[in-house]
Amino acid sequence: MIYFLQTNINTTDASSYLPVALQVAFAVGLVIFLTVVTHLLGPKRKTSDKLQNFASGIESHGDARQPMAIKYFLTAILFVLFDVEVIFFYPYAVNFKGLGWDGFWAVLMFVGFFLCGFTYILKKGALKWED
Amino acid sequence: MNALIISALLGVVMMFSSFLLKDRSTVRSMAIAGLLLLLVVNVLEMNGVEFFNINTRDMIVFDRFALLFNTIAFLSTLLYLLLSAKEMAKVGVYFADYLALIFFILCGVILVSSFKSLLILFLGIEIISIPLYILTGSDKRNLKSNEAALKYFLLGTFSTGLMLMGIALIYGAQGSFYSVDISKIAGETPSALLIAGMLLLFFSMSFKVSAAPFHFWTPDVYDGAPTVFTSFMATIVKAAVFVAFIRLFDEAFGLLHLQWQLLVAVITALTLFIGNITAVFQQSVKRMLAYSSIAQAGFMMLSLYAMNADAKEGLMLYVAAYSFATIGIFAVLIKMSDYTFEGFNGFAKHQPLLAATTTIFLLSLAGIPLTAGFLSKFYMLKAALGTGKHLWLVIVAVLMAAVSVYYYFRVIQAMYFKEGEGQPMEVSKPFKWTLVVLAALIILLGIFPNILLSWLYF
Repeated sequence: MIYFLQTNINTTDASSYLPVALQVAFAVGLVIFLTVVTHLLGPKRKTSDKLQNFASGIESHGDARQPMAIKYFLTAILFVLFDVEVIFFYPYAVNFKGLGWDGFWAVLMFVGFFLCGFTYILKKGALKWED
Repeated sequence: MNALIISALLGVVMMFSSFLLKDRSTVRSMAIAGLLLLLVVNVLEMNGVEFFNINTRDMIVFDRFALLFNTIAFLSTLLYLLLSAKEMAKVGVYFADYLALIFFILCGVILVSSFKSLLILFLGIEIISIPLYILTGSDKRNLKSNEAALKYFLLGTFSTGLMLMGIALIYGAQGSFYSVDISKIAGETPSALLIAGMLLLFFSMSFKVSAAPFHFWTPDVYDGAPTVFTSFMATIVKAAVFVAFIRLFDEAFGLLHLQWQLLVAVITALTLFIGNITAVFQQSVKRMLAYSSIAQAGFMMLSLYAMNADAKEGLMLYVAAYSFATIGIFAVLIKMSDYTFEGFNGFAKHQPLLAATTTIFLLSLAGIPLTAGFLSKFYMLKAALGTGKHLWLVIVAVLMAAVSVYYYFRVIQAMYFKEGEGQPMEVSKPFKWTLVVLAALIILLGIFPNILLSWLYF
């Protein structure tokens, strides 16, 4: 525990983050300042239309907390999986030449495992829309 | 490396068998054959036969310590599947998927027992944790199982977050993920960043092994999860994380040993105290075993505290003794319908063989001589004495071992000295024989511990 008190400022660790800390403090401070100022200075004219939730200009009706079919959620999750797969291709594409055949086999293995998972969810009926 | 790749492939095979094979007993025999294969290739690797030669840039190194632990883990899992695989089918309809998850967890176990880089440690911990969250909540219609899964998931991910933060701070301080580089400390005192990172890693690992101030999730999760999976969680997984814990603090922070020794001593004493004292007041055997697993974790923490050759030998023996005994007790417990102490009343009359083997398992957990539990506790205390400091910790450990006798013997007393009508149980011949083998292993290790320990050196 004593080490926390013995930190040297001239070393490379904590003090070099000072600009970052300043920037964070400025960002947070600006947000707080502007929010407070708008509340203090802005005129308050409340009408029932103004107090409604903004839903792209369409009148809102009903509660958003309704049970929803799990299928939508499942599809969204599976989409995220494929999204992440594509993310992995970017670094590979950038280093395509440097990685050579080793990289190619590694990526092929990755895609192979991914396809295994895909067949698995297909066979398990995750994408079957009708019951 | 053999076991790592084969267990990953076996996981995929089990996944596919969930829709290719309709027959459950085929899937079960496949899983058991797969584990036998894992055991064989691992033993082969201990004798220098490697099938795969992959350049991991020394991020994973399979030394004798890792290989011996993997052998113990595979043997425990094999016995666990032989005893309880049939019960898994009763949890839910996804029998083959559960087995696939268990093989994936074994991948994580192999990674955390052999890591040399913090990245691999993190990967391994995650590969262990995520399937466990699923297995905990696998009894979907049971509210307690759902609650346990949610609690485990939230707290588990939080502690993984702490771990990542710690790894990031350590990288900031030392500029490397390798334990070798982390252990090199420039100058007289380590930097504040390194110490902060080490403490965060220490807290998150303590959480994973359920050491005292971080143990609150354990009873609820172990109690709520289906009993088959509690058995796996409390034994193989916990042991693996302990091995990772020891490896991390030995290789990366070994030079700072004197600085963190007192902290570990306090946490060890606290774990022993809370685990044992709370276990005394439990009414359900399953919950008692959950607290007993905290108490046993306290004893395993002694090896972290001492960190010498005795401690490493002791940990191996402890892991084997604890896993075998706990798997055995859980295997019997799964078959019962009443989990309270009263449920065991008159058990010896109706199931004499099961009662006898359960007694051996309980004696081993309590640390009675001639069982493996005694010698493993002995090694731990010897290692702790070997440091020559903090004698109070050893005294606390001995006292707490005495307390533990009370609640383990309560089960034995209920089985032998109380009257009860007994519960209807279906017990097959192979089940009985496996239990006998397990009990024999425990007694064998209690008399000749060197059968196991000599593997560390030769």
